Amino acid sequence: MTLAPVFNLLSGLLLALGLLFWFAGTWPMLGRASYLTKLHYLGVADTLGSALMLLGLLLRFNREWPLLLLALLSLVVWNTIFGYVLAVCSQARPRS
Amino acid sequence: MAGLIVIGLRLLIWLLLSADLETANVAIGLAVALALPLPRRHRQLPVSALGRSLWASLKAIPLAYREALALLIRRPGREVEELQPVEYRPGSPVAALVFLDVFRITITPLTIALGMDGPGRSYRVHRLESHHPLPQEPGR
Amino acid sequence: MTLLLFGMVLALLLPILVVCRRTDVWHRLAALASVSTKVAMVMLVVSVVRDDWMVGLVGVIVLSVGNGAVMLLANLLRGVDR
Repeated sequence: MTLAPVFNLLSGLLLALGLLFWFAGTWPMLGRASYLTKLHYLGVADTLGSALMLLGLLLRFNREWPLLLLALLSLVVWNTIFGYVLAVCSQARPRS
Repeated sequence: MAGLIVIGLRLLIWLLLSADLETANVAIGLAVALALPLPRRHRQLPVSALGRSLWASLKAIPLAYREALALLIRRPGREVEELQPVEYRPGSPVAALVFLDVFRITITPLTIALGMDGPGRSYRVHRLESHHPLPQEPGR
Repeated sequence: MTLLLFGMVLALLLPILVVCRRTDVWHRLAALASVSTKVAMVMLVVSVVRDDWMVGLVGVIVLSVGNGAVMLLANLLRGVDR
């Protein structure tokens, strides 16, 4: 029971950090960097930032832990592989 | 043995999705996990290589956060493309190990795998170079 | 929590802006994938705050199936490009 405020603080910190990752990783999409650089940043935002957010939610609301754990698993695996697939498919363009 | 791991993974996903541990529910999940066909390649997959690869992927996650912070704090300098040798290769490449390798390379934000080079000798890796060199990933 | 939701919706606007502006199909695809992930995360947060299992389940399914669908689309586009 005494640990609850600590957990709340920690989860708030994680949520804020995840939101920061979202903004920082999505912002370069508006710029003129190369496509692969944008994919690197997108990996930061979508995979790592969202994973931080899910961890924060997991610490705060632990009634729904199976759902959040499944979300964490599928998020990390699918988003990573998805970045790879996008990179490969965009590189296979014939000439440009 | 590797098939057992795959079936266990399927059962785990089913239990997390349905989130109840009654006997009927577990029986349904077990039946479905056994009924789905196993890929034929998994039978010749050595367990030690699978475990080592899995452990390397888990170790890549804290490294990914370190690289993400490095990427956000200072702008990266230039982009290079390089080759990274494959670790495990007696005979034809095994699908699960290639999947784990690609996962390990791509989850770190400074590197993205771009596919295999030639007949499965090495991966082509796209890397963002920061101005200060990062500590190298262990096990390379 | 409300603040967090506002922030997430604000971050969601960025890739939507990219989709509206770019003409290159690959940039558009990457931005759409980003939208999909972010919407799924918003759904998860809302469901957890409201203690609602059904919305959360839909969020998890969107998270996994949406990414798989965009992957298939990317492969298809590569085939068309050739």
